[in-house]
Amino acid sequence: MPFLAKWYDLRDLGNAVGAFLDWIRDLGGPDWIPYVVSGLIGIVAILLWLLVSQLAFIWIERRVIGRMQARIGPNRVGPWGLLQPIADALKLLLKEAITNRYADKPLFWLGPVLIFIPALVVFAVIPFGEGMSLADLNVGVLFVIAITSINSIAIFISGWASNNKFALLGSMRAIAMLISYELVQAFALLGVVIFAGSMRLGDIVAWQSEFNTWMFLLQPLALVAFLIASAVEINRSPMDISEAESEIVAGYHTEYSGIKFGFFYAAEYFAGFAVSAIVVTLFLGGWTAFGLERWVPGWLIFLSKLYLVFFLFIWTRGTLPRLRIDQLMAFSWKFLLELLFIHILVVGAEVLIWHEGDYPAVVVLPIFAVINWTLAVALVVGWATFMGHLRPERRAKRAVLTQELGATYFRPAGGHGTGPMGEA
Amino acid sequence: MEDTGSIVAFWLLAALTLGSALAVVLIRDLIRAVVLLITSFLGVAGLYITLSADFVAVVQVLIYVGAISVLMLFAIMLTPRAGRNNAETFFRIPGILLAGLMAFTISLVSLDTDWAVVERGGFEETASAIGEALLDKYVLPFELAAVLLLVAMLGAILLVHPEGTDEE
Amino acid sequence: MDSVNRFGPELILLAMAAVIILADIGWALAGTGAERMRRPALGALALTGTAASIIWSALLIAFDEQGEAFSGMIRVDDFALFFNFLFAGTAAIVILASIDFLRRNRFVAEYYALILASTAGMMLLASTIDLIAIFVALELTGISLYILVAFMKDGRSSEAGLKYLLLGAISSAVALYGMAYLFGITGSTSLDEIGLVVSEANGETRSALVLAMVFLIAGFGFKMAIVPFQMWVPDVYEGAPTPVTAFLSVGSKAAGFAVVMRIFLTALGDGSISSDWATVFAILAAISMSLGNITALVQGNIKRMLGYSSIAQAGTFLIGLAVVAAADPQLLLGTSAVLFFLGTYAFTNLGAFIAVIAISSKIGSDQIADYAGVAKRSPLLALGLTICLLSLTGIPPTAGFIAKVYVFNAAVQADLVWLAIVGVLNSVVAAYYYLRVVLNMYTAEPASEESIQPGYYLGLAMVVAVVGLLVIGIFPSPLLEASEAAARVFG
Repeated sequence: MPFLAKWYDLRDLGNAVGAFLDWIRDLGGPDWIPYVVSGLIGIVAILLWLLVSQLAFIWIERRVIGRMQARIGPNRVGPWGLLQPIADALKLLLKEAITNRYADKPLFWLGPVLIFIPALVVFAVIPFGEGMSLADLNVGVLFVIAITSINSIAIFISGWASNNKFALLGSMRAIAMLISYELVQAFALLGVVIFAGSMRLGDIVAWQSEFNTWMFLLQPLALVAFLIASAVEINRSPMDISEAESEIVAGYHTEYSGIKFGFFYAAEYFAGFAVSAIVVTLFLGGWTAFGLERWVPGWLIFLSKLYLVFFLFIWTRGTLPRLRIDQLMAFSWKFLLELLFIHILVVGAEVLIWHEGDYPAVVVLPIFAVINWTLAVALVVGWATFMGHLRPERRAKRAVLTQELGATYFRPAGGHGTGPMGEA
Repeated sequence: MEDTGSIVAFWLLAALTLGSALAVVLIRDLIRAVVLLITSFLGVAGLYITLSADFVAVVQVLIYVGAISVLMLFAIMLTPRAGRNNAETFFRIPGILLAGLMAFTISLVSLDTDWAVVERGGFEETASAIGEALLDKYVLPFELAAVLLLVAMLGAILLVHPEGTDEE
Repeated sequence: MDSVNRFGPELILLAMAAVIILADIGWALAGTGAERMRRPALGALALTGTAASIIWSALLIAFDEQGEAFSGMIRVDDFALFFNFLFAGTAAIVILASIDFLRRNRFVAEYYALILASTAGMMLLASTIDLIAIFVALELTGISLYILVAFMKDGRSSEAGLKYLLLGAISSAVALYGMAYLFGITGSTSLDEIGLVVSEANGETRSALVLAMVFLIAGFGFKMAIVPFQMWVPDVYEGAPTPVTAFLSVGSKAAGFAVVMRIFLTALGDGSISSDWATVFAILAAISMSLGNITALVQGNIKRMLGYSSIAQAGTFLIGLAVVAAADPQLLLGTSAVLFFLGTYAFTNLGAFIAVIAISSKIGSDQIADYAGVAKRSPLLALGLTICLLSLTGIPPTAGFIAKVYVFNAAVQADLVWLAIVGVLNSVVAAYYYLRVVLNMYTAEPASEESIQPGYYLGLAMVVAVVGLLVIGIFPSPLLEASEAAARVFG
């Protein structure tokens, strides 16, 4: 890196921290002090950045969606409504946080707290720039998958503790979604790990930078699947069926008010940023951009990509209608998983050919990219056609669970609709 | 396990694991029991980390916290309300006595025994080592586990298939 | 390729299970036209699988292909091959007996696939020499059987399946705990290496070894169905579909004995620990025989009665294990006695259960009282059941007689005279309830005169079993030699 490693060279934020740590180390004292201090710096920095980004994006999201839906959006508090997020935050802080009489109180309190943990902990393994990672675990990708699944447990706990039928329905949906989409998420990331040959997020970024490519160019299907699965796991619209306001009031946080609701509101953004950060790191080259990182600080590149990906989530929220639960479940089990199995097989074969034949990456990677893009398009179109052309009596009957989760159950015409549970 | 940090971490995690495991047994509310079970699983994951088994630790979180307890929650949620809580049992006193006896025997034996201890350094790349072991020396159990899961899936589908066994 | 070659008998069963499932999907896609052929064809596929497995095992002997495979995970030796034949043969007979039983069932393919997978797991239990592989094989066997027990999905079958699942899961956990102790003491999962460390063990590890031994006996005792791990037997035997009960009582039990012999003779065979487990087995043998027989006396349901009788039989096998710990010649004698007994028991019990399937499906009852006058309604079935029950009692010229003599002889030679006496006394008790059924069939008045005709396949299975046990009873030497050859593996 051509940076001057002087503490005041803010193009790499690590320089300043590094200089500070060196200074502490020179002061003497036990070994663990610089370790703890560097951890604290990272945590505080990430928290501050998250809060600022969140405040900004509350406003951006509401404005953008307003524009997409031909509304104006917030425009009264401050210039262009800029102070709206702060007003909202104050309002949430000051409102009464009601706990209903029949709630399971410890769990009711635990839910909103717990929901923060996964969204925050994920950032520990994300490399924000060169060397700017709190803990670059060598099982980073697994860690990400493992931690994000805790999110749904928090949702479940809060829905259950509310003792409200809509909250419970939301919880059940959240768990059903988690079970369905965790596999998709894992398989999507498996392809990336196979190519990069490491589960360390830093290594995956380095791999993309070494071969001058971004992973999504090589594995478009994995990116699409991961985006969808993550949107489900963090309850972003159009997959936010566990809080679908048109069906079950507000789902799992129906009973929450005041700052407790604020926690859910904030956690939603944090989780969104976390997922965007993962997408950027694994699929979009992380803090590198084809050599641009030599001129622009890596963290800036990273953040701009992150905001772009998050904008994508906003965009889908503004344009796509919410899916029904059975559609979403079926989409995972009958569509995404099958395609990903084939995808993994192909990716594995490619890596095998590459390493066994010892071909130069310049030759092989473009070929792989072409193959994978073609395959992705062919698979999506082909499988959709195949599923669509099944004769109605051959289509699988609707699963029992989706009925219990509150899906509207239609009987096909012609008396063919004896539901698995008898008449629905 | 020499430095103070590891020892403190070990005792804290052990207390967390055993404490929440004990609470799982004692508590009546099933959902709270599962939540405490999750804490216990997390404690075990922490213990793996103190043993430098990072891969196993993360997999512990992924499988036990992320999948198994979620399935438990789901199962509890789908059972009728009446059956949700642990009932009093007739075997309570004998159970406690037996468990105490077991614990006593096991701790006595554990303290008495000269275990085959392996000395190991700090963090290494455990993931790739595990991968190689699974597909080389342990390929047979690994593939058999795949067959086992297939059989279990087959059975699950068969048993919960809403239509009866007889075709008439 | 040697690895795959030696793994062949198991592999072909698993492959055939997959083929059956895929073929069933093929039938579903083909539409209703080919539906008539589905059941016979699937049954034929399953039988082909077991036959191919037997042939492959025979070829392994013929080409002298014994040896280790998969870097020391399994060892295909005479012992493993003996059990390959036993399990594949059992599976074949059970499949034959199931064809009629499954006539109206929609999950035929799943049934056969589960039987085949379970059989493969049992074979592996006999051949694996690594604790990890043993545990996976144990679970493969177990899980298939849990599902098969609950296969009927009616109240009793589901209850039996649930009981079997819960107790089975606990026993697996206990066995795993024992394995963990073994690993902790020796630092290895390979039975050979554990055996090496144990034979040189000093006093420091003794208490942990004893604890591991107790856990292993408790865990595998469930599979062997010996007292005090027998609570599940009557309910599960009664609730499970009868062919599955037959499979449980023969295959699962033999698998339990196979893995116990493998572990205890290889890993815990040397050193002071062996006399410990021999004593434990001797005591368990006496309790199992006595308790099993006495409880069987009062049973009114024939499946429950056969269940308790199988507990008592397991106690008799345990005598063989108890003998092992003494000097070298007894070791051979004891092990080969168990193997020989398992071989004869397979034919006998299968025959008995097949007769029960045939009779009970016609008279619609499992009660012994309802077996009154069956001899008049179906002389051949009654004769077959009688021969099997005589063999279980141990009356010449049936195979059971020779097996019992062999085992009691082994006990006397190893100075376990008291155990032999307990065994003989128990045989006398057992004769009462076995012969009560026979008496009931031949002397009592039938409820109706309608004749009972077993289906073609069921009859074939019955003939195989009865002829088998008579042949062993009259010419025991081939099976004797085979079991001695298998026992020599540990010598």
